[in-house]
Amino acid sequence: MHAEPPLPPIASDVPSAWGRVRGSRRIADKVLKASAWIATGISVVVLFWILGMLIIQGGSSLSWSVFTQATPGPGSEGGGLANAIVGSFVLTFLGIAVATPIGVLAGTYLAEYGRGSKLAALIGFLNDILLSAPSILIGLFVYTLVVQPMGTYSGWAGAIALAIIALPVIVRTTDDMLGLVPGTLREAGVALGAPTSMVTQRVTWRAARAGIVTGILLALARIAGETAPLLFTALNNNSWFGPQLIGGIPNLPVTIFQFASAPYENWRQLAWAGALIITAAILLFSVTARYALGRDNAR
Amino acid sequence: MSAAPITTQTTVGHADANDRARVRMSVKNLDFYYGQFHGLKKINLSFYDRQVTALIGPSGCGKSTLLRTFNRIYSLYPEQRAEGEIIFDGRNILDPRLDLNELRARIGMVFQKPTPFPMSIYDNVAFGLRLNERLPKSELDDRVEQALRRSALWTEVKDKLKQSGMGLSGGQQQRLCIARTIAQKPEIILFDEPTSALDPISTGKIEELIEQLKSEFTIVIVTHNMQQAARISQFTTFMYLGEVIEFGPTPRIFMSPEQRQTQDYITGRFG
Repeated sequence: MHAEPPLPPIASDVPSAWGRVRGSRRIADKVLKASAWIATGISVVVLFWILGMLIIQGGSSLSWSVFTQATPGPGSEGGGLANAIVGSFVLTFLGIAVATPIGVLAGTYLAEYGRGSKLAALIGFLNDILLSAPSILIGLFVYTLVVQPMGTYSGWAGAIALAIIALPVIVRTTDDMLGLVPGTLREAGVALGAPTSMVTQRVTWRAARAGIVTGILLALARIAGETAPLLFTALNNNSWFGPQLIGGIPNLPVTIFQFASAPYENWRQLAWAGALIITAAILLFSVTARYALGRDNAR
Repeated sequence: MSAAPITTQTTVGHADANDRARVRMSVKNLDFYYGQFHGLKKINLSFYDRQVTALIGPSGCGKSTLLRTFNRIYSLYPEQRAEGEIIFDGRNILDPRLDLNELRARIGMVFQKPTPFPMSIYDNVAFGLRLNERLPKSELDDRVEQALRRSALWTEVKDKLKQSGMGLSGGQQQRLCIARTIAQKPEIILFDEPTSALDPISTGKIEELIEQLKSEFTIVIVTHNMQQAARISQFTTFMYLGEVIEFGPTPRIFMSPEQRQTQDYITGRFG
């Protein structure tokens, strides 16, 4: 052991540097902080206002008959939303069933095969435009493409319109999530003698699985509440629908739209109940999506 | 320490006195381009059977680029191309007709960052085996166990083969990647700075492992760490600005380099 060198003396003649930050700078900081709090407060208040109204109004209108009886005709008493709930369920899942394989594969093309190519850049750009296209336009598009040639409104037309709305969401999230997978993982797969297609299926998709599933669930939540594209395609109906899905297919969003502005008290009550049901369903999808993503990331 | 000339014979004759090391792979007039950039210039080099050859040199000198030509992994990127010959088992690796998947099963690679796949430890090791060989379950189990034993990981993971490979520590993940590579029984293993993301203890384990693996495999390792090259390799190649400056038995390169640039680099004057 050798002796430690003595510590240098503590300087006492250095002038204090406190107060270097200008007062105006501190005020600006406080103002920004307060604005952020107020803005957050406003959005949270609005959100809970909507939720509160839904729960109070919709909750009081909820009863067993809502889930067991079909929508009532004009002027008739009682009634429920059973046919609209089942119709929405069918339309939404048909839509997502069509959009998922196309969307995931297209997103895979953009991320894995087309990266850097002009074609992929163009497709990605067009996809982003489709992402923000007004949904009523998509309804009109499907109207001319499917409803006019078939000569009737149908569940198929509604499902196609919903699929077109879900598609760009799934393409975008798949592309983004695959883009987050490190390139070294792909190289490692290829270095073991796996063809690119195999690496994509067994390694890259798996690595991005949580993100892709979240995208699909978010698309599901998005189309579950879409009204405009259904007005021209699935329309609505007060009766039950056949397995051919031909003619107007009852569904929650259009039922809410029609019943909310109707002169009958029981219709307006059902509109509230429908709004609560649809919001709860979307909330459930979103929470499931978050949970799935969180759990996969934690692993 | 004297700088006595060390003959090739003493360092190479590892297995048997009269068993002269065989050339396993040779590079002839190799040029490499990243788009317009001329990354490797007229490389000529040989790699000896069941020996460790280290590629050293400052960052950007082309050592990783050279390594990445041996399994043609660069061909994932369309703007990269190689010209010349790399002869392995009587064929030119750069021949466009060569089956890349077969090539990569015979010449394995371990990367700088551990790259476990998002699947179980067992499935990670079985990944290549399932691709290229059709094995009954019991034989697959054996091969996975063998590979894990061979990479000194078996005792640590034998009770959690079904757990995700992502849950292992960095050093264990890297040994898992080595297990995954050797499970396919390749002839050459390429290591691209395999320890630069690891702590000293994990690094020591990997170095020990490479030392053992060379009884079975021909090894090429890119390293930034000159002590590591000196510790584990039998041959060293010093590269600078896309060219091979000097190649020879490791003790000679480190104790009496012939080139001025090699001398400057290993004494820490640049790099």
